[in-house]
Amino acid sequence: MGKLLSNPKVIVGLVAALAVFFVALAGGALGASFGGGFLGSPIPHIQLAAEPVANIGGYTLNNTTIMFWASGILLLSLVWLATRKMTEIPGRMQGLFEAIVEFFDSTADSVAGGPKAGRRYLPVMLGIFLIVLFSNWLGILPGIGTIGKVETVAEFVEHRVEHRAHELDKGKAETKLIGSACLRPAVKDHHDRAFIEVLCENANEHFVVFDGRLIKPGRTEQTKVGLNQVVEVDELLAGRITVTEAEHQIEEGIVLHLSAGQKADCKQCGDLTGKRAGILVPYLRGSSTDLNTTLAVALFAMVAVQIWGIRALGGRAYAGKFFVNPFTKGPILTGVGFLEMFGEIARTISFTFRLFGNMFAGEILLIAMGFLLPVIGMLPFLGLELFVGLIQAFVFGMLALVFGVSASAHHGEEDHGGGSRGSHDDEHAAAGVHTPQTQGAH
Amino acid sequence: MDGDIKTIGAGLAIALGALGPGLGIGLLAGKAMEALGRNPEARAPIQQNMILALAFCEAIAIYAFLTAIIIVFVG
Repeated sequence: MGKLLSNPKVIVGLVAALAVFFVALAGGALGASFGGGFLGSPIPHIQLAAEPVANIGGYTLNNTTIMFWASGILLLSLVWLATRKMTEIPGRMQGLFEAIVEFFDSTADSVAGGPKAGRRYLPVMLGIFLIVLFSNWLGILPGIGTIGKVETVAEFVEHRVEHRAHELDKGKAETKLIGSACLRPAVKDHHDRAFIEVLCENANEHFVVFDGRLIKPGRTEQTKVGLNQVVEVDELLAGRITVTEAEHQIEEGIVLHLSAGQKADCKQCGDLTGKRAGILVPYLRGSSTDLNTTLAVALFAMVAVQIWGIRALGGRAYAGKFFVNPFTKGPILTGVGFLEMFGEIARTISFTFRLFGNMFAGEILLIAMGFLLPVIGMLPFLGLELFVGLIQAFVFGMLALVFGVSASAHHGEEDHGGGSRGSHDDEHAAAGVHTPQTQGAH
Repeated sequence: MDGDIKTIGAGLAIALGALGPGLGIGLLAGKAMEALGRNPEARAPIQQNMILALAFCEAIAIYAFLTAIIIVFVG
């Protein structure tokens, strides 16, 4: 340690790292409370559903869809590159993929219990692992989630007004607004009524102030403006301005005034009036942060599991796992069969939410760290996200394998205890991995 | 008022939801270390199974986290 510290390169590196750390600390949200915050940015709009970025002939293209295609194409082209010229002594790419395939081959064999027994599960399991891995890792590239178009306030309101007016046309006066103070049954025109109700409901929705197309560094959370600072919602509700005037204000989409707190708190807020406000809609977003993607992969995995089960046991015997005759075998086993069937559905849901939750949480974690400690705060968490992405992909593939093996097992061989998801199958996996023949060799 | 209750709800959701998985991960890792101490040659399978089981534990915390997110941003 003493020898290491006497090396001038190490000392220079340490000093530089400390300097960057303190600059980032002062520049971020933590420093903003003490008059710093020159690198800060407001937290972007966080939304669960994927954002539509284009509309091609009635088909809405989401930003996560593009990313899933991109990861699929990248995976295919990498595999094509690796296997284009196969040689006896593998090159780097071929070696990498050979190592991956060999690792999963041995794992599948050890779980399925016997050499070559795992071959049947390998393609689906490996495919799931690779595609999930690629879509997880592509999602944390820089620029994804931070580069996009600005959805103006007018667009934001328009979508909701259209939806609400449509509801009113169908005669659904209340729905989500039941008991809300925002209901305006006195207004007869459906469009006007929808407009007023939507503005009233979303009066506290916050928008980021843009300088043209960019957000200047140094803006902090206080530079976000509410909808009522772009449109005079209170005036509209009190009837002092008409719907047409309010629509005009929205069309302009500029900040009219600042709240008293903002004027007092925020040095940078003085020049915000007159600038455009809106929401950042990223062009690209990690595909695993969309529930549709993870559900699709989960359904694929579960369908594959059913097919493995039917192929191994035959249709009749496999159906016999779920439908048990209560008169010949007893009502308890019938109940267990139903639980087993429910377990299949629960596994699908669990698959879906495990991956989605992990990836979505990771995205928010990165956003929050970029907000608190810009420049360097993200670095350890980027490493963590790489690790989480790998682990989740591995878990997804492994579980597909484990479920597949347990679906192919004969009825009498395994204990149908409880019928709930997870625990029992994990024991199966644990027992499988402990089988002696493979682990020592790899 | 509505927003305050929401904030409390979201905080409670993740606080209580992280309690169980936290205990679970601690127990799990402790047992894995014990097993490792008793049988150091079985390092690879122990590690593999531990990571798999950790992902199960962690998933429960993730569900709670999702609930909190939905309370704050969607509801």
